Amino acid sequence: MKRNVVFLTLVLCLSMAALSSRAWAQALKATPEIFKRFSEHVVKIEVIETGSFAKASIGTGFFASGRGHLVTNYHVISKVIHAPDRYRIEVTDPLGQSTQAKVLGVDVVYDLAVLRTDRHPKGFLALEAKPIEQGTRLYSLGHPRDLGLTIVEGTYNGLLRHTLYPKVHFTGSLNPGMSGGPTLTHAGTVIGVNVATEGEQISFLVPAERVLALLEKTVRFESRPVNGFLAEVGRQIHANQERYLSGMFSATTPSIDLGPYTLPTKPADFFRCWADAVRRKELPYVAVTHDCSTDDYVFVSSEQSSGIVRFYHQLLSTAELYPLQFFTLYSGQVQVGNTAVFGNEEEVTPFRCQTRNVQTPTGKLKAVLCARQYVKLPGLYDAVFRAATLGARNVGLVTTLSLSGVSFENIEGLSRRYMETIKWRR
Amino acid sequence: MAPLGYVEVLDSKGNVTERVRVDSFPIHVGRAYSNHVVINDPYVCPVHLAIERDEHEQLIVRDLNSVNGLSSGINGDRVPVLELYSGTQFRIGHTLLRFCSVDHPPAPTLIDRERKESWVASSYAAFIAGLIILLLLCLDSFLSSIERVTAARVVSEPLMTLAMLIGWAGLWALASRIVVTRFYFAQHVTFACGALFGFLGLGTLSEWLEFFFPVIPALWIAGFLGSGLILAALVYGHLGWASTMRRRSRLWASLLVSGAAIGLSLIIDFANRSKFSNVMEYTGIVKPIDAAWLPSTSVNQFIENTGKLKKELDLLAQKARATQP
Repeated sequence: MKRNVVFLTLVLCLSMAALSSRAWAQALKATPEIFKRFSEHVVKIEVIETGSFAKASIGTGFFASGRGHLVTNYHVISKVIHAPDRYRIEVTDPLGQSTQAKVLGVDVVYDLAVLRTDRHPKGFLALEAKPIEQGTRLYSLGHPRDLGLTIVEGTYNGLLRHTLYPKVHFTGSLNPGMSGGPTLTHAGTVIGVNVATEGEQISFLVPAERVLALLEKTVRFESRPVNGFLAEVGRQIHANQERYLSGMFSATTPSIDLGPYTLPTKPADFFRCWADAVRRKELPYVAVTHDCSTDDYVFVSSEQSSGIVRFYHQLLSTAELYPLQFFTLYSGQVQVGNTAVFGNEEEVTPFRCQTRNVQTPTGKLKAVLCARQYVKLPGLYDAVFRAATLGARNVGLVTTLSLSGVSFENIEGLSRRYMETIKWRR
Repeated sequence: MAPLGYVEVLDSKGNVTERVRVDSFPIHVGRAYSNHVVINDPYVCPVHLAIERDEHEQLIVRDLNSVNGLSSGINGDRVPVLELYSGTQFRIGHTLLRFCSVDHPPAPTLIDRERKESWVASSYAAFIAGLIILLLLCLDSFLSSIERVTAARVVSEPLMTLAMLIGWAGLWALASRIVVTRFYFAQHVTFACGALFGFLGLGTLSEWLEFFFPVIPALWIAGFLGSGLILAALVYGHLGWASTMRRRSRLWASLLVSGAAIGLSLIIDFANRSKFSNVMEYTGIVKPIDAAWLPSTSVNQFIENTGKLKKELDLLAQKARATQP
């Protein structure tokens, strides 16, 4: 009896090993098979500067219809949207044949664009919005760093939680140049479009349902927006703002206590907050910081983005410095970081600021509002609202709210609500 | 015999370049050596005019049919005869002349500053000014240090500033030695300390003003106007010391120099402002005072005011769009 059991166990183990090695072999065989079957539908997309005939940016795209509709990322072709007379799009298929493409539709919020070439493709890739199981093997195609068409294996890890715009978490190595390329299942259906990476196999895809929505809208109407694509980009950003800005910093916004002040924190699930403190022996003061920021943003151009909401509080306190000394430090902190990282004359106006001492319901603060307008997208602004609490001699709080690509009405509304959420604890 | 008066030849500023004693009338004035008063001016005739008494014993100047004639005053009309009193000025050719009788009152005596030095010019004043500035700089250095500091560190920077200030005064003293043959080192130190005191005071005052009233760009105004005024004071003081200019002329000269300096700085500032920049221009000055003392606006007013900001940005964007292809 005992011998039988040993024998059965051995048989079971051997058969399992045989099965798993067969699956492994199948998987190994699948990747070249997928590449062979589907790579002909994937193209390289280059944005060419018409003056020098040199490429200004590259990416990947894929045929999504038999009539020559191509899907890629908005950020791959954004230069053409911003300066259509200076750039054009060139599409190269795996056989090396190049043709020009024109933009048919964009979804700037989800970073998608639909293009069209005059050449009818041999076939196209089907998109599927059905949910799939976590851990499902996926295959991503693209042109990493213009090194030629490449296939990358990875796994599906569901939709990102707590993010403003739904994205598929793809565990696989996406690299610059693969943007706009398809990520397929074993069956060859596209479940997402390559869009971003955070390194070390953490990559993101635009879900197929967003691509289908844009394709449906674009293919059906197939006409340019009345005021051009740039105006359409502006319209989409305006429409998108309300979704996440309305209600931000309302009475229900959670708060934290920092020193003698009560301040807003994590106004929505799509914010991430961090805190830290500087308490060094050699310094006669303590600085505590609390920093919250949206994780996601809308790519507008290489120098502009919309939808970033960031706010950070810095509490400074001292038991050693004289009030005038402490206020030298405090004034410096109110002034620090007064230069925007991005922005050039073609895209934005210079900043203009307004400074006042403001009485809020619970105390007085020095309030500064600086804003600049997007030149090519009228009605959209970047803004920085900064406030410093007044009245104390050895403690002070500098708090900053920065917004990018929002309407002036939203700047006013958010600055007002933000100011009102700063409270003095009695 | 006592003289009857003097004929004086004046330069363009009214200073006497030559004085000729008159013992009797008539006398002749002209370019010829036979005249009583010989004028070295090619626009003057050999015998140009006569100074004499008329039938009523009134002193007169009479043109002797000269080519360019006789004019009353500095730029007066051409006249054949002019009644002469003590102090009367008249012009022949390009030369200005004045007659003064012996009882003509002289100008008040000027104080000889080289001998009777005021306390401002003394070395003690320079020492005290230097000491005050050093103490103020030390206080400023202490109040602006936000780390734990030793006394040596607090003092070192002000000492360096004072040394530079003394060196600067020394350079100007050297320039003064070349121009007016005296060093005036102590005076330069006093004035340099005074100017620095002015700048420190102005800086502090404008910081507080800007903190109290953020609408007023006090620091910006002080940067131009205040510095201009200090410069004007320096020029005014220097001219009083080194020239014989009258007070009003000195005032005009100093205002002109400072006005030119302010104008130049404003042009440079405007040129820099016109350049595109990603900097948010605001002053983050906060001061430790009781909040009750501070004038403030309501949240509503702050938000309402942003309308102006929007208008300004819209205008800038419009301009930018118009200039872009």
